[in-house]
Amino acid sequence: MSLHGETGMFRRNTTFSLEAIEHGPAGQAASKVGGTLLRRASRAGRIVLLFLDACGQLPHVRRSLTTVVSQIEMAGVGSILVLSLIAFLTGSIMAVQTGAELVKIINTADNLGAIIGATFVRELGPIWAAIIMLARVGAAMAAQLGTMAVNEEIDALRVMSINPVRYLVMPRILALVIAMPLLTTIADWVGMAGGAMISSVMFNVSVDTYMQSAKGILTGIDFFSGLAKSAVFGAIIATIACDRGMHTTDGAEGVGRSTTEAVVLSVVWVLIADLIMTSFIQMVLY
Amino acid sequence: MRDNSRISASVTSPRESWEAATPVGLVPDGKKVLVAIRDLHKGFGNRYVLRGVSLDVYQGETLVILGGSGSGKTTLIRHLMGMLTPDSGTLRVALADGRAMDLARANEDELGAWRRRLGVVFQGAALLNSLTVLENVGLPLVEVDGLPADHVRNRVVAALHRVYLPAEEILHLKPANLSGGMRKRVGIARAIIQEPEVILYDEPTTGLDPVTVNGVNELTLDLQRRLKVTSIVITHDLDAAFHIADRIAMLYKGRIIALGTTDTIRQDPNPVLQQLLTGSTTGPLTDNMLQGQRTP
Repeated sequence: MSLHGETGMFRRNTTFSLEAIEHGPAGQAASKVGGTLLRRASRAGRIVLLFLDACGQLPHVRRSLTTVVSQIEMAGVGSILVLSLIAFLTGSIMAVQTGAELVKIINTADNLGAIIGATFVRELGPIWAAIIMLARVGAAMAAQLGTMAVNEEIDALRVMSINPVRYLVMPRILALVIAMPLLTTIADWVGMAGGAMISSVMFNVSVDTYMQSAKGILTGIDFFSGLAKSAVFGAIIATIACDRGMHTTDGAEGVGRSTTEAVVLSVVWVLIADLIMTSFIQMVLY
Repeated sequence: MRDNSRISASVTSPRESWEAATPVGLVPDGKKVLVAIRDLHKGFGNRYVLRGVSLDVYQGETLVILGGSGSGKTTLIRHLMGMLTPDSGTLRVALADGRAMDLARANEDELGAWRRRLGVVFQGAALLNSLTVLENVGLPLVEVDGLPADHVRNRVVAALHRVYLPAEEILHLKPANLSGGMRKRVGIARAIIQEPEVILYDEPTTGLDPVTVNGVNELTLDLQRRLKVTSIVITHDLDAAFHIADRIAMLYKGRIIALGTTDTIRQDPNPVLQQLLTGSTTGPLTDNMLQGQRTP
């Protein structure tokens, strides 16, 4: 189609023809961006549909209990040590940094319990648990399901009339939704313990003063909102990992790509979910 | 995901079931058409893989579908598994009650009914690596039929004996601990454990040593004789094809170019078929490769 004739302003074959624009550099760039956005939106929609499909398989959970338990063991028990170490160190580092500034400004570090407690229970506990889970468990899930996909094991399940979402995906999502709040609770307490240790050693804040300070600011909403966030993070991590794994192609290279994509996507969507949930909690519940 | 609203479109009455799908050739006496494929087309992007495949499969026969790499064999067999939907054409299968069902238009429940009659032996066996041999072979009995553990164990042992494997020795091993030939046999055991009427073999002898190849071929013939199944074998292994086939269909560039018994296939003058049979490096197969032609 060309712009010409009616106003007499343009000649035929003018460089302003829409065909020229479409096939020119600007058009091709727009086409690439548009195509990428469509693909990403399509994938996001597919992930949502997978989650809804998995929820629909919950009535059959009794048949998958063994898998759920083994996934909780792999995800939860295997992550406790590394999460505890990271939470302890983070709490300690926070106590060092924050305590030093408090002493400079108000000459006391007695409020460290409140600051570290609120930070961990509301944010750092769920986030650190999510990061450890997606790096360790999400990657492993994507790799395992990706290998199954390239080896036609998922096709074999379908041909045997075994629903892969019921057999593989639902137990994994359920396992992480159960394991994440438990790990978050551990992270909260261990993180606060790290802060308590530094507070006591470096700033002479007794453990009792530290804990009273924490109790003074923390409410039931803080604990439950943190646990709710962690359950949502668990669902996001497992769903993304299963989606990427089940749609793996191109052999070993594809498995590596799916694993990487699962981790990156999980980080992004966990943080987006955190922003949305934190905003909701602050505006509605407090 | 299949469209569940199109239940009636896929299943037809006995009268109209085969009227719209006249046999491709004369149906031999005493034979019954189990699968009728008509003018099947399938493409992926700009690549057309199946370009009008028409083929009948008779009940109780071993039909071998021969073809080179990229001829469309795997795409065809995935249609028979209900994993792909054709762009056009029909794939009618005879149901137990005499009606016909078009796999191309079937919903998930109807596909499940067809798959229940199907056993599939995948190219790499497709055993679940996290499960033992007992768990792999017994998987459909546990997950689909809901049978108790002792019943499953007895059926698994029987299936492994049917494929001439030492069941007691391997029940608790995982696939990684088995040889390629043993994995293939375990895959066959899993495919037959629900006593299917049709067994699909996807390149059953690829990657195996000659002795194991012969073993798999003999097992295929043995199972057909004993279980009275219909076997559809996808392969590019000529020796295996002529060893086990009742009929051979040659797939080339997405079309069936030859169909008949082993004797008629050997005598078919089609130059593509003759080049494949003789293994000659000159001919239409290699001419296309040398010229770098892309099939439109």
